[in-house]
Amino acid sequence: MKQVWSVIRREYVERVKTRAFILSTLGMPLLIIGIMAVVGFVAVLSEQSERQIALIDLNGQLGERVQQALDRAGYDVELAAPGTDTEDLDQQVLDEELEAYIVLDDTTASEAVFAYRSKEPPGGVRSQLMRSAIVEEVVDLRLGQLEDGESVRRLFQGGSLEYEPVGLDEEEAEEAEAERITGMITGIAGGIILYIMMLAYGAQTLQSVLEEKQSRVVELVVSSLRPWQLMLGKIVGVGAVGLTQVAIWIGCVALLAGLALPSLIAAASDFEELAQFRQYLPGPGAVLLLVVFFLLGYFLYSSLFAAVGAMCRNLQEAGQTQAPLIFLIIIPFMLQMMTFQGNNMQWMNWVALFPFFSPIMMYPRAVMGDVPAWMVAVSIVLMALTVWGAAWVAGRIYKVGILSQGNRPSPRELIRWIREA
Amino acid sequence: MTQNGTVVRLSGVRKTFGAHTAVDDFDLKIEPGTIYGLLGPNGSGKTTTIRMMMGILLPDSGAVELFGGAPDFARRSRVGYLPEERGVYEKMKVLDQLVFFGEIRGVGRSLARTRAEEWLERLGLSEWASKKVQALSKGMQQKVQFISTVLHDPELLILDEPFSGLDPINQDVLEEIVLEEKERGKTILFSTHLMEQAERLCERVCLISRSRKVLDDDLRELKRRERTGVVAVEFEGEAPPVATWPGVSEVEEAGDALHLTPQDGVLPDEILAQVVAGGVSLRRFELLEPRLHEIFVRHAGEPAEDDAPSQTGGAS
Repeated sequence: MKQVWSVIRREYVERVKTRAFILSTLGMPLLIIGIMAVVGFVAVLSEQSERQIALIDLNGQLGERVQQALDRAGYDVELAAPGTDTEDLDQQVLDEELEAYIVLDDTTASEAVFAYRSKEPPGGVRSQLMRSAIVEEVVDLRLGQLEDGESVRRLFQGGSLEYEPVGLDEEEAEEAEAERITGMITGIAGGIILYIMMLAYGAQTLQSVLEEKQSRVVELVVSSLRPWQLMLGKIVGVGAVGLTQVAIWIGCVALLAGLALPSLIAAASDFEELAQFRQYLPGPGAVLLLVVFFLLGYFLYSSLFAAVGAMCRNLQEAGQTQAPLIFLIIIPFMLQMMTFQGNNMQWMNWVALFPFFSPIMMYPRAVMGDVPAWMVAVSIVLMALTVWGAAWVAGRIYKVGILSQGNRPSPRELIRWIREA
Repeated sequence: MTQNGTVVRLSGVRKTFGAHTAVDDFDLKIEPGTIYGLLGPNGSGKTTTIRMMMGILLPDSGAVELFGGAPDFARRSRVGYLPEERGVYEKMKVLDQLVFFGEIRGVGRSLARTRAEEWLERLGLSEWASKKVQALSKGMQQKVQFISTVLHDPELLILDEPFSGLDPINQDVLEEIVLEEKERGKTILFSTHLMEQAERLCERVCLISRSRKVLDDDLRELKRRERTGVVAVEFEGEAPPVATWPGVSEVEEAGDALHLTPQDGVLPDEILAQVVAGGVSLRRFELLEPRLHEIFVRHAGEPAEDDAPSQTGGAS
């Protein structure tokens, strides 16, 4: 067992030290943040006007309101003195003293249509911001003139569906709703984590096995270790690397959320709302279940990936041979994506019982409460049996394969390997 | 460390790969404290034999014993094995790699580190300890591999072609270490196709040709037995007409010396008597030892390169 531990440590330390790991781990969040920053920066940059924008009010009701609204939207607009000639303003635009000017007239007051006069058309962000600022002011102005303006204003806020639970008191209903949302978030996040771990890190197990086989170092290693010890050490080591990566990513998200927390507190009108927020965190049961599904799913696939690595001579061969495994991972993910969108067909629950699909399909169902508990239990038992069988088969293929330098075995030879190992 | 009893014993071992018989009807016995050479051309079955000793391959028939029992992991951990296929973790640092190999052979982490540092010092690789293995030359990598096989201070060293790929200076270094290990009471088995190396180092040799054992004997004993009576003579100045001397059947020039083959039944002493009687001053008179290569050729014919197809595992 001590030796397995040495293998795990070697696998882990050597992998975590690689540039590829550091780049993919830190690079991913940095890349996302970077892209967001660049997009935001470009948007801001394009909105910085070098020259003044003017506003002329021909109607006489809107001028100041619109100026303030535009100010709130981030535009420093100069209100032209009443009676200013538009031809003068045109000339200023032509002389490049003004970038643009906005004309508010009677049509603006009635239909929120206004002119934007400039040598160049406004950018998308600018038209959107200016339009909504002005529309809001016009609506406000017009509602103020109506007798029942206040109720119409509320109508404009979109109305609301108010769920009235039958047979539950309010508190229970709230809890159930929170549970559903939590289940959904946990289910989606868990499904994605399982998918990444099985696909990316299963494949890394394959690579690791293949590297040892290709460099022939494996003969040196298995002269002191049982092949299954080496295989187990590899699977656990690579898995630990994957967990580290996921943990770092989750940590990054938590950090960003933590940075955003003060503004969340400020936004929450009272502490009760903040406490409500806490009930959306997954409970220990959901986390425990994720661990169970992760362990079973990861061991299932990575042991098979290890066997594929042991069978092949190089990465090209391995690329072809691993295809069935990749499909077995991608198919449930796609099925799951379909059902997340509300396409909740009952028979899918039975598909989710298929052990190779269970990690990705059964886990979200379990935490969302879409399947009865007995089905989850059956699924776990089925998976455990499959892991046991797969590990047995993979271990035997691995044992023969790592020392074989010949062609990839045919299915018949493979069966012989399994039987004779 | 001294051992009692036979270290390695093979009896009636046979191993085939498909239609190719790699090792056939093979017996072998290695006593503790000896340097044993497994000799034969490439493809004659040396590596397959060694892999069976290490339990990496199982024989089709016959028995393999290591330290008096099956080559299980407990017994294998008493062996330092240098495979012919020299793999390294290229991206690992030299010292880390050695510590890892020490660890999986049951040496504690800190002890493994101390020993690795000592060995690196000894083989002049200290300054490479924190370099990646891939930065080392082939010869240096081989020395690192050698260190990884002796790090757990094994009782038996099984070295498969340990000298191939080393330059003459490093071959000498390795030879010296092998001899030192023997002095410390270790048993050493190595395979080689280089007869000169075996001649210098081995106390006992086993010759393999075409999957079968041809000879298995104490080297000195073997040479004495295989002696042909040929003498080498070297004279000061003009050589006398040796070809006409009675008792000499054949004369061969070998540089400054002449190799005289006596007729059957003629002892070297009789030829020496003639030399002395001839009144010529003699620089050298030596009873020639047969070279291992000649012995091999005599028993197995010219070493031929067998084609050794293999399906599972190399069969060289």
